[in-house]
Amino acid sequence: MTEASFNVSDFEPVSGAREVQRISRPSLSYWQDAWIRLKANRRALISLYIVIGLLSFTLLGPLLWTVDPAAQDLDQVSQPPGADRGATIVGPFQPWEGATANAQVSGQEGAPAEIRLAEPATTQAVRLLWDPVLDAAGYRVYRNVFPAEEGRALGLPLAEILSPDRVSFEDRLDLEARTYYYSVVALDPIGEEFPDFTSLPVKVIRVITAEQAVERGLAKPGALKPGDQVQLKLHPFGTDYLGRDLLARLMFGAQVSLFIGIVAPMLFVLAGILFGSTAGFLGGRTDQAMMRFADFVVALPFLLFMILFKIAFGIGPGESGILPMLLALVLLSWPATARLVRGQILQIRQEGYISASQLLGAKTYYLVLRHMIPNTMGVILVTLTFAVPSAIFTEAFLSFIGMGVAPPIPSWGSMCNEGIKTMLSHPHELIFPAVFISITVLAFNLLGDGLRDALDARMRSTE
Amino acid sequence: MSEVITDSGDSFTRSAGRQLLLLGLLGVAGFALLMLVLGWLSGLTGSSSGSADAVDAATGTITLSLSGEPPQLDSTRMTDQVSGHVMGHIMEGLLRYDAQNRLVPGVAERWEITPEDAIFHLRDNARWSDGSAVTAADFVFSWRRTVTPSTASEYAFIMFPIKNAEAISNGKLHPDQLGVRAVDPRTLEVTFERPVSYFDKLMAFSTYLPIREAFFNSRNGRYGADAEDLLYNGPFTMTRWVHGAHIRFEKNELYWDKDRIRLNVIDMPYITSDSNAVLNLFKDGKIAVAGLDAETLDNALEQRWHLNRFNDGSVFFLEFNHRPERLTHNLNLRKALQLVTDPGELVFKVMKLPGNLPGESLFPVWLRGVDGPFRQEYPAPQHRVDFDAARRHLELAKQELGLAEMPALVMLTGDNPISNKQSEYFQNVFKKTLGIDVKIDKQIFKQRLAKMTSGQFDMVMAGWGPDFDDPLTFGDLFSSWNANNRGRYNNPELDRQVRIAQASLDPKTRMDAFAEIQRIIYEDAVILTHYERGVVYVRDPRLQGVVRRAVGTDPDYTNASIVDS
Repeated sequence: MTEASFNVSDFEPVSGAREVQRISRPSLSYWQDAWIRLKANRRALISLYIVIGLLSFTLLGPLLWTVDPAAQDLDQVSQPPGADRGATIVGPFQPWEGATANAQVSGQEGAPAEIRLAEPATTQAVRLLWDPVLDAAGYRVYRNVFPAEEGRALGLPLAEILSPDRVSFEDRLDLEARTYYYSVVALDPIGEEFPDFTSLPVKVIRVITAEQAVERGLAKPGALKPGDQVQLKLHPFGTDYLGRDLLARLMFGAQVSLFIGIVAPMLFVLAGILFGSTAGFLGGRTDQAMMRFADFVVALPFLLFMILFKIAFGIGPGESGILPMLLALVLLSWPATARLVRGQILQIRQEGYISASQLLGAKTYYLVLRHMIPNTMGVILVTLTFAVPSAIFTEAFLSFIGMGVAPPIPSWGSMCNEGIKTMLSHPHELIFPAVFISITVLAFNLLGDGLRDALDARMRSTE
Repeated sequence: MSEVITDSGDSFTRSAGRQLLLLGLLGVAGFALLMLVLGWLSGLTGSSSGSADAVDAATGTITLSLSGEPPQLDSTRMTDQVSGHVMGHIMEGLLRYDAQNRLVPGVAERWEITPEDAIFHLRDNARWSDGSAVTAADFVFSWRRTVTPSTASEYAFIMFPIKNAEAISNGKLHPDQLGVRAVDPRTLEVTFERPVSYFDKLMAFSTYLPIREAFFNSRNGRYGADAEDLLYNGPFTMTRWVHGAHIRFEKNELYWDKDRIRLNVIDMPYITSDSNAVLNLFKDGKIAVAGLDAETLDNALEQRWHLNRFNDGSVFFLEFNHRPERLTHNLNLRKALQLVTDPGELVFKVMKLPGNLPGESLFPVWLRGVDGPFRQEYPAPQHRVDFDAARRHLELAKQELGLAEMPALVMLTGDNPISNKQSEYFQNVFKKTLGIDVKIDKQIFKQRLAKMTSGQFDMVMAGWGPDFDDPLTFGDLFSSWNANNRGRYNNPELDRQVRIAQASLDPKTRMDAFAEIQRIIYEDAVILTHYERGVVYVRDPRLQGVVRRAVGTDPDYTNASIVDS
């Protein structure tokens, strides 16, 4: 008999089960997965960075660029970005008597022989003197930015001097540091111009008094004397029609625009989720009644309600209309989200796993919280991101027509409204806020687009 | 965008991108085609009026734009400038202004004015557009209607020099007792309430225009509401009035002085106050005259047009609410605000329109005094900006009012770019220098007027244009009885001076009274004068003889003619 020889090791289990399946990559949650797919979408990623950039521009910007958005710098009105800022210090403005001459004694025919400057031309004043003209009843003074030419395009008619003996004029109208061409024409007794005119090119230098420099924080009292050079305040994005800093106004305007743009959608999307999920979950007659109410709300006119709220709130003239705008937006915009969420809930209710869960004894709140809300989350987030640009646009539109913020508080919409009036002469006043609105709206839209792709569970299979 | 699509390396998005591109191209092409078709269509339909030049010498037609629509054209109730401009072309009063701004005979051939009464002799060839004669009774009817309380004319006060006018207007007497009588169809007799030195100047004002009673009654309350609801006696008749869109004047062949009128048609197919639109119309040769503002000025300079300017005679100011319950009732507060107001900075740095003059006085520079200009004979009080003095006044005001902090003041203003700019400028000035917050209440004209009348403001951006050529048109503005004294300023001394200026016949006494009013208004800071308005405009060089004036019809095309170049 052969004895079978076994040893202990023979009775040990065969090592490890055969590796049937191994998860080669780390397990990913829904959100991790969504983030990966969002990162793969370059457009959405860039938009995300832009949105983050805008938020920090709005929230951190005013801490770094501490310029009062309402402060008016009347030395630099409607200056484009990068304009020359050098100025010379001069003494305070002194009234000028001007000059007179007897035209019948020293006058000559036709046009003044010569125009002279009584003193160097500065942005404070340009003081002109000329020789009297025989038989003139008065003079007309023009100023142009081009050399005077034939055809009588002499430029801005600055003044009419209806006295033959007054042969001087002081120009203080909106003087900038550039070359002007002054022309003087004599007038006959019925106010018609003589055919000849005399011109003088004048180079104007920018000046500021020491007092003003101190007041504007450019120097310490007593540190400057006439003749010194200073640099006027820096305005990186230029100034508006009252010399207010555009960069500061854009930052503060963004606060209003983004506040409405983010808070309003958050609130009305939340309201829509509550309303829609209740209706969808309860179903039946309740659902019908609730959704007909939502249809009714859709039919309400937004602008009218905004005005009504403004009155109901007792918001007087000259006060900000932001709160009624927010309320009107929230009260009238939720039905879209509610419909979407209700549709989703109705659909999910029919799914097999819900029935299974119910059979296993799941309570209603568990069903809603565990299954329904997470499955509608993608839709909700996408609605939210798409609602942001539309709310920003609504705010801009309402402020543009003067229903929103009250001056001097800026918002992008009201800045556009102000800028559009000077679109041709100072385009930067319109372009900056308009570009900011466009970029923000575009960024939020592209981000929403990317989020939709990233959050939609069905998109997973395409990869 | 296309770069992003190709870089994604996804064939699906790439083909979608191609489709999008194709769609975009098709869209652009389709849009261009649509524009072409529309342009062609509008060329077809608009050829009757659109192809005409702004100045057409062959037909004697000029095309203009109108800044607004006249609310109605009943002369007894009209108040606005546009109505005044329209009425000046289609109606004529007893007297009118000629091209040199002299007062010349209109419907009246000659007249005699004494301290007690005036007699006007009407010309026999003055005709209404239905062919009937303009008679003294037409004036009597119109004037009585103006002062009748139920007409509620805002200009009833301008009739007050006539006997019993004020009493009738207050409902104390019957309108029949107005001191005006048609002695016969061609003689009008006016009895005065008090001696009045400027009565002839009033006769060119539009409230004094005639209305034919029979025609008025036949319109059942629609008189002046449409072109056919008016009877014309002026140089032109209105042949078309499409509300808000189009007004057309044609030469009145029945006008007694029709040989003077050289234009046949004044067509106004554009009613807009948008200065950019007006500038573009002028650029395209669609209109013959265009007003410019600070924004369109640069553009006009680049076009190398010849620019014209003139002062339209009106004065703009910040009017305080003097009702006792308002903070602005306090003189020291008003003084503080006055001392930080710099009209020069406003005009030269903020408004930037040539022609505007810094406001120094309620009385503008063009008013005549005893011999020369009023403001040369009686210079305005010297105004200096003084922040320290202003702060001292503000402290006093706070003590008097028992306030630790000054609450925000409401500044009522018009809803237009110029008012916006000004009010925001002053909001900043008052905040920066005095720490006073200002709430800006922007309202359209009608609403602003309603709020001014009911006193819902602390200060209001207001203005006043002259009605007749005498300092009194400004001087009585802040008398306690004037309905246009919206701030309810009440000062017996100022009232006394106004009475002197109204009743005296001696120019020196009157001008002294106006000088006193000028001083009170400055020292009591009744208003803060901002500027005297200037107007800059461009005109087609072929159109000559357009008269611009401070008092009377402005602009006046009745003397205009077309020179063919």
